[in-house]
Amino acid sequence: MGQSKLYLEDHFPSPVKHTWIEFRRNHVSIIGLWIFLFFVAVIVFAPGIAPFSPTEQNTDVILLQPAWDNSGTIVHLFGTDSLGRDVLSRVIHGSRVTFGISILIVLIAMLVGFSLGAFAGMGHGLRASVLNHLLDAIMVIPTLIIAIIIVAIFGTGLTSCMWAITLSMIPKFIHLTRDLVRNACHMEYVTAARLDGASNTRILFDSILPNMIEPLVVNGTFALSVAILELSALGFLNLGAQAPTAELGAMLSDGLEVAYIAPWNIALPGAAILLMLIAVNLVGDGLRTALRNRLQQ
Amino acid sequence: MIAYLLRRLNLFVVTIFVVTLATFALNYLFPGDTLENLSGISSHQTAEYNQIVQYHGFDHNIVYQYGMYLQHLWKGDWGISSSSGNDIVEEIKLVLPATLELSVYAMVLSLFIGIPFGFWAGLRHRRPIDLGILSASVLGYSIPVFWLALLLILFFALQLGWLPMSGRISLLYDIPHYSGFILIDILKSDIPNKQDALSNAIRHMILPTLSIALVTATIVIRITRRSVADVMQSDYIRAALARGLTRPQVFWRHGLRNTLLPILPQLVLQFTTLLTNAMIVEVIFSWPGIGNWLMQAVYVQDFPAIRGGVLAVSIVVIIFTLLMDIVLRVINPLKNRDIHGTI
Repeated sequence: MGQSKLYLEDHFPSPVKHTWIEFRRNHVSIIGLWIFLFFVAVIVFAPGIAPFSPTEQNTDVILLQPAWDNSGTIVHLFGTDSLGRDVLSRVIHGSRVTFGISILIVLIAMLVGFSLGAFAGMGHGLRASVLNHLLDAIMVIPTLIIAIIIVAIFGTGLTSCMWAITLSMIPKFIHLTRDLVRNACHMEYVTAARLDGASNTRILFDSILPNMIEPLVVNGTFALSVAILELSALGFLNLGAQAPTAELGAMLSDGLEVAYIAPWNIALPGAAILLMLIAVNLVGDGLRTALRNRLQQ
Repeated sequence: MIAYLLRRLNLFVVTIFVVTLATFALNYLFPGDTLENLSGISSHQTAEYNQIVQYHGFDHNIVYQYGMYLQHLWKGDWGISSSSGNDIVEEIKLVLPATLELSVYAMVLSLFIGIPFGFWAGLRHRRPIDLGILSASVLGYSIPVFWLALLLILFFALQLGWLPMSGRISLLYDIPHYSGFILIDILKSDIPNKQDALSNAIRHMILPTLSIALVTATIVIRITRRSVADVMQSDYIRAALARGLTRPQVFWRHGLRNTLLPILPQLVLQFTTLLTNAMIVEVIFSWPGIGNWLMQAVYVQDFPAIRGGVLAVSIVVIIFTLLMDIVLRVINPLKNRDIHGTI
């Protein structure tokens, strides 16, 4: 803060910047953000970082211990699995699949949820009411059940699971958007815009949306943690990614067969999921606190 | 109140209707023959074929078929499982109580862990103890439930050998089926080694219950802590303190009830998550519940069973939500405004 204040001038940061300043004050959240960025880097550069191919089977070294164990080697830092595949490479590629697809899921759910929610929030009467009741009905059904239905119809696979989680997530975003839009509609700045003759679309995008971005992002991070959890859970239950694909949940269920003699095969992928979730949850918590602090001022 | 109940009941009927419609549509959406998906009987050439067609109304239009479907559901005829050939309702009657038992114990345990810790953290807001509990809860909140279950098995069952790793009770005991809740069934039964059976069942129950309860407890802690912190910062608490009441007095007279009210609806929302976790954990511990049963049905593509299981779980969740809504409304009449305020 080398800036000297020459004039008695009040500094008003923009809302987003204000939230960022509040967010930055919490060191734990910043650590979370760094881990988050680390995983983003892993997603982008996975093929470059991983020492081996995730599917390459090296039959000479089956179930090799991790490097920190006495019999481990530095070549296979995290050891190898029952088919002689390098666990580190698989964890890196698995993180890419799990984390990357979860982000995709949240983005799609957010986009669809926002559009439908805006429709329900701006609209009145029967249409909106029917939509709400239908949503309430979908919202109570557990994701696992929706996933089971979709998998039963389309067969197991990553794509089926992706759609299942997206589908179960959309109602939450619709609810959120609808409530935010409906609250914003009573605000004076919206009335002012309406008196100026702005159309509904214009009000939505110019007056309401800028105020909605932060709550949407906060909920997006929480949705991301749910998406990671559910995607890996479905992978673990063999409904999601199938055998050769490196996905963290599927790796866990592969490691189950050798859990007793090679516990690192379930410890390490699980730890990767854990770290990912901690990062996402810390960022989400930090953002939510920052947002609350800003709104309280 | 009556208007409220009617409104709720209306919503309940509509939701159930939507769910039955959806499960009926599943028969058409699932791969394979619709009639086979509906009845679970694969008999195209047999003499019974015409009888089945007639029974399910497949010689009429789709609306009539749906009517027949509803009628059969109501009579308790949900078709037969295409893999085991048993009646689906009978199978669900066996597996659903096991899941509910697990969920109920996990829920009670998580409340017993979560609420005291939540209060402790909330009352010491932004002090070291609060930060400690909060960090532990972030950690717990981030642990995937299936991984936690595996670690518990690895440690307590395989490494130490203290607890059994799968199943519900040792096969040595033959417990007659009565309510489906195994502890109640054992107590009701008149088998010779009642005490041993009871302790055996409890030992089987510890690990699955613990893995679900730990994950749920962290959420309970977060919800409770937030609510307590918010209430303890509010004006009426400060006013009470200013009048010279001691902190315990303020908390017991003004704090407690006001903190519990906002917690309850949020806890109810966690039931779905809890049930999902229970269904996942069942698969790991081979617990004979509906989650395990449904997964087996998915692996062998037993479509009538999938449809029945989905319907059963949905109905349980919907009934639970409805009951809790009414209970909350009785406890907290202020909620009245919500239902009138929104469309």
